[in-house]
Amino acid sequence: MLDPTHIRFVLNGAETELTVDAAELLVDMLRGPCKLKGTKRSCDVEVCGACTVLVDGLPVSSCTTLAIDIDGKKVTTIEGLSQNGKLSKVQQAFLDHAAMQCGFCTSGMVLATTALLEQKPHASEAEIRHFLHGNICRCTGYVKILEAVKSLV
Amino acid sequence: MSSRAPSPHPDHVDKVTGRTEYITDVEVPGMVHGKILRSPHPHAVIKGIDASAALEMPGVIAVLTGADVAALNNHWGLYLKDRPVIAIDRVRYVGEPVAMVAAADERIAEEALEAISVDYEPLPFVTDATEAIEASAPLVHETHDTVKDFYFKGEAKPVAGTNIFQRYNYEHGDVEKAFAQADRCFEAKYEFPMIFHYAMEPHCVIASFQSDGLTLWSCGQSPTAIQKVLSRVFGMPLARIRIISPNVGGGFGGKASVKIDPLVAALAWKARRPVRVCLSVSESMLTARRLSASIRVKTGVRNDGTILAKSVSVLMNGGAYADTGPAVAVKAANRAIGPYRIPNLKLESMAAYTNTVPGAAFRSIGGPQAVWASESQMDEIAEALRLDPLEIRNRNLLRRGEHVRPDLRPIDVEMGEAMDIATREMTQLRASDSGSKTHRGTALGISDPGIMAVSSVLLRLKIDGSVAVVSNSVEIGQGVREVLRRLTAEQLKQPVDVVEVLTPDTAIAPFDWGTGASRSSLMMGLAIADAAADIRRQIADIAAIVLEVDPQSVELCEGGIAIGNRKKTFGELLHAYFGIDSGELVSIGRVSPYSNAGKLAQAPLFWETAAGQCAVAVDEDTGEISVRHYVSVADVGRVVNRAAAEGQDEGATVMGLGHTLSEELVYQDGQPINATMIDYHVPTIDEVPENFVTVLIESGTGPGLGGMRGMGEGAILPVAPAVANALAAGYGARIRELPLTPERVWRAIRDRKER
Repeated sequence: MLDPTHIRFVLNGAETELTVDAAELLVDMLRGPCKLKGTKRSCDVEVCGACTVLVDGLPVSSCTTLAIDIDGKKVTTIEGLSQNGKLSKVQQAFLDHAAMQCGFCTSGMVLATTALLEQKPHASEAEIRHFLHGNICRCTGYVKILEAVKSLV
Repeated sequence: MSSRAPSPHPDHVDKVTGRTEYITDVEVPGMVHGKILRSPHPHAVIKGIDASAALEMPGVIAVLTGADVAALNNHWGLYLKDRPVIAIDRVRYVGEPVAMVAAADERIAEEALEAISVDYEPLPFVTDATEAIEASAPLVHETHDTVKDFYFKGEAKPVAGTNIFQRYNYEHGDVEKAFAQADRCFEAKYEFPMIFHYAMEPHCVIASFQSDGLTLWSCGQSPTAIQKVLSRVFGMPLARIRIISPNVGGGFGGKASVKIDPLVAALAWKARRPVRVCLSVSESMLTARRLSASIRVKTGVRNDGTILAKSVSVLMNGGAYADTGPAVAVKAANRAIGPYRIPNLKLESMAAYTNTVPGAAFRSIGGPQAVWASESQMDEIAEALRLDPLEIRNRNLLRRGEHVRPDLRPIDVEMGEAMDIATREMTQLRASDSGSKTHRGTALGISDPGIMAVSSVLLRLKIDGSVAVVSNSVEIGQGVREVLRRLTAEQLKQPVDVVEVLTPDTAIAPFDWGTGASRSSLMMGLAIADAAADIRRQIADIAAIVLEVDPQSVELCEGGIAIGNRKKTFGELLHAYFGIDSGELVSIGRVSPYSNAGKLAQAPLFWETAAGQCAVAVDEDTGEISVRHYVSVADVGRVVNRAAAEGQDEGATVMGLGHTLSEELVYQDGQPINATMIDYHVPTIDEVPENFVTVLIESGTGPGLGGMRGMGEGAILPVAPAVANALAAGYGARIRELPLTPERVWRAIRDRKER
């Protein structure tokens, strides 16, 4: 095993320093030492999007990202989206459209949508479908998720 | 629904902020982690296991193998006691748990698995159901130990000395005579593959033996079934076994009945520590799957399309352990009947053991398999007789009150109404989409939910007017907590905000049969009504004592009671009664087959149905099907939470598109060759139809509160045959094997053109 490595990064706006194993995955670091369990683990192979977090504003699968690779970067998890107890507009839209059932995909779905709107505030439906292709939801059939995202563009 | 629009749904606020605690998020003090070593062989004798190297590794606490469970009542099952707690001397499928390690963390446990060596002697195996029922097939189990009325009503009917663990037969009229008299007979076989549930949260259980017994935090949908099985395995009284059910990230039947709970409990028993086992999704794929089916349907008709007789023969691949397969086989037969007048009917169904992942309940057990066969054939008959698919259905449709089978409750919905609405909506959608060339397909599904009318709930009215609902209905994403919250508020005439639905815990919540079979809103709703009536009686009696009023004159109102114009808060009333400003009223509500004057005893409790219509376009160069529009219509009786109810039908339909277009667990040489999420494709957002219309008919004719019937499992039924029927109508390609992959579609269209 490689030696533990010291990393510094910004987590949900807060400067953070941690010592992590070289092989530690970002999802395990977030859910373990960082105690941010809103990031969900599902497929383990970068297919489902449940573990999506934003690294420097871009969605990445934390199940296949090494914790040491976020050294010097900004990480946003679902816990970092609402400000002073006020939901982000994406969170509010998901709530308003009841765009979730079991909710296990919701953190990743909300974060991916946040990144999409950052890049394309007026994304077309085709662009929405393309961008969210990597986020699986097994419960909703995506109909209400599409409605929620379309309400934001 | 009469009660006012609620403030933001508290469960949803937690979910969009990541605060919801799921079973995989639960941490129990002192817990260690377990990992499972699985069989690489489809069928083999275990000659020996050497775990000594693993036990020497730092951080390893215990290893569990078959030798350890000799002291336990080590086989369990809800229909057949066929499953060992952990493989004892033999493995029966690739993925079967053979050894387990408990260690300080998951990584150590995982590494320790590699240090365990298992000596196997491979045996002949069978993975195909048709081969499994041949006389020469290797036996997956030598004997069949059935249990009657254990958790399901009745018992399985296995055939001694064979792999058949369930046989079911039904007949009315004289099918052979009617076939002889029919103008035309149509017969074909339809294939439905094994489907993985893919609840996004994999199976997870934490088990802990303490001085007061065994506690499990479980992903299971049926806490009391788990409690009962553990009681038998460990020889402990039910009262010493406690099952806590946190939020679960999806179930769909894959977490119903009992799955990994005995295994995890056994490791905790061996390790003498609380143990958490969280599977990977790939491991969940080796834990449960939908039963695949070959269904032969023969229908005899007059030239005008009138059905004279139908016979259905189902063969299901049940996998290595029966699980709920015996129920699935019965339901697959019944659900193949369809909403039609069939004067002569014969049903045969069999489920067979094979050396594959155990088959299990999955959203409408046996239903999608059955409706795939029946509704595909309806269109084949229509085409041969040059009838419109809607016309042949209309000609044979049952009206409300007519019998599907004389021994079952008459159908309680108007399927013609649902089909007409679907047609109207689809016609509008296609008219507004004149740009694309699409073809229409229709299918109707009816199912007989296997609901046991056994539920109970506690309501606890606190002195401050807040109400706790204590039940074992598990929140798996279906929204049961919010439904129970609203129904409790309605029954007690209180605002929804004062009602809290507690996390299920068998230590405090009374018995409920389980969360599945579209039963919880209905059954728990009736139990809540019973409990609320008791609370009202208690309040009236208390008011009579402390206020000296006629108990008949006491009405509940928001925050308290009203006697004419005079109002008292619950706090004022209970303070006067108890003498202190503290206390609560507790009531229990119960539902049994004797409730509601015995009306809940007749099967099925209601008919769960759906009419589906799709508009489909095919890229003839690639064979890729695109479902452009979809309309799903069902009479659900009454809607309690509209967005959630629509979401159930939308989710069920898109799940149905999965088994229609891409999903299939494939075996080759005894190995599941696509059991990872890289190789197994479930629908993604870009596959959702451009237009999706859900119509929920609120006829108020169901047996639940306000005339509700259960829902959530109907909409999946018509999807596959509707798409296949559209494909046949538009391109002349009739495919009788799912999924309708681009290759199959391309070949079918090419073959059609070459003819």
